[in-house]
Amino acid sequence: MLKLFKLLGNKRLFILLMGLILFIAVMGFTLGSRTSLSWPEKFVKDTVGFVQYVFYKPASFVAGLFEDIANLRALQEENEQLKIALAHYTRDKATYNWIAQENERLYEKLQFTESQKELYNYTWKIAQVISVNDDPVNRTIVLNLGAREGVKEGMAVTSDKGLVGVISHVSNFTSTVKLVTSMDARDPNSNGIAVTAQGKENDVFGMIETFDQEQDMFLMTRIEDATPLKEEDLIVSSGIGGVFPRGMVIGKVKSIQVGEYGLTYTATVEPSASFTDWKELFIVFQPEGEEE
Amino acid sequence: MLLLLLVFVLFILEGTLIPWLVPGAWQTRITPHLVYVVILYFSVYEHRHTGLVLGLTFGILHDIVFYGALIGTYSFAMGLSGYLLGLLSRSQRAPLPLMMIIVLLGSLLLDSILFGTYSLFELTHQPYTWALTNHIIPNVFVQFIFALAIYVPLRRQLEIITRRRSPDEAA
Repeated sequence: MLKLFKLLGNKRLFILLMGLILFIAVMGFTLGSRTSLSWPEKFVKDTVGFVQYVFYKPASFVAGLFEDIANLRALQEENEQLKIALAHYTRDKATYNWIAQENERLYEKLQFTESQKELYNYTWKIAQVISVNDDPVNRTIVLNLGAREGVKEGMAVTSDKGLVGVISHVSNFTSTVKLVTSMDARDPNSNGIAVTAQGKENDVFGMIETFDQEQDMFLMTRIEDATPLKEEDLIVSSGIGGVFPRGMVIGKVKSIQVGEYGLTYTATVEPSASFTDWKELFIVFQPEGEEE
Repeated sequence: MLLLLLVFVLFILEGTLIPWLVPGAWQTRITPHLVYVVILYFSVYEHRHTGLVLGLTFGILHDIVFYGALIGTYSFAMGLSGYLLGLLSRSQRAPLPLMMIIVLLGSLLLDSILFGTYSLFELTHQPYTWALTNHIIPNVFVQFIFALAIYVPLRRQLEIITRRRSPDEAA
């Protein structure tokens, strides 16, 4: 016992232990869900964010230039595909307009309230990536829109291909995105996303709670009936629960197996977004009023 | 002072330029901590306390700017390992091989502390062997090459600083 006290008398060791305790306290305090950042954090985030913006823009431009040259060959093929997509679009646009008008008319007839009508009227704001942290466990990216533009914690962030992440913290001019690759069902601070398959919205229901880092795939769990679900189906968020916007593209089904306890099914879903070479992303703003 | 500014620029580059230089397939696996390598140099050739303070400062900067799940992991890991590796070489005249061994050990230590912290707070459930092959070993290689590249200019600069300071202390 005396020896232990002597050991603690060592100033260096004492400071080290105090530091350890302090750091664990700070980590534990910041781990849970916090309402907003304190002003020193905001200040550091905004100033560093500004400098990063100055550096990231030219770097991505130069890298994009080289990428474009490399992709020159694939251009013709891409053009062909785009033409087909355009043909599909013009065809679908006519049907869509018809259905949208019909829908509006029915809303009027059924006397929907204003907030009910606006529920799914999302606005997508374009945001520039200003820096990237590729830490394998805790991947985040920083965007150049912040509280001034109305960004809030928990908003969905998507690229042109698919869902990328969720806003985790906001300062005045920048916001940090926590990528969906850090989703984990066993982490109490990570929320699952209710999903369904495109075109089978009323038949398929599941949750995406985990990203499997070994396979680089999402795990879609709690599928009660897997018969309507097929491989290559496009998985989109269903918006059930109202917190997460609906219609966010997540990925394609690769395989379906019986789940952990044999009662439900689990599907592995290959993400649509690439999670590399970030440029522009979209922040999905849900209409106000909905959140009380 | 100018050197510190350069370290800050390196910190910025780490988040903006480096992800573009890493080839796509490796982007999730190579995340070099270049600032940390420079801090190791400070720790060895100037003083381990400088390494500790720089590690804490740039760590907290990294934590706040890339605040995903929690604050403090990088600050803790960089501060502690910067100090410990400064302790390893007591003389300020560490030759190149010793410095490289310190960089290798330091890279391993930093990523291990980071992974340990994430495991402690249950942010990851992967085994350590996975982390080792997935990103720790690739990182060690990249950081080793970076350390070799900056050895000559950085050591010269640091020696100028310490030499300028030592007459003051003697007086």
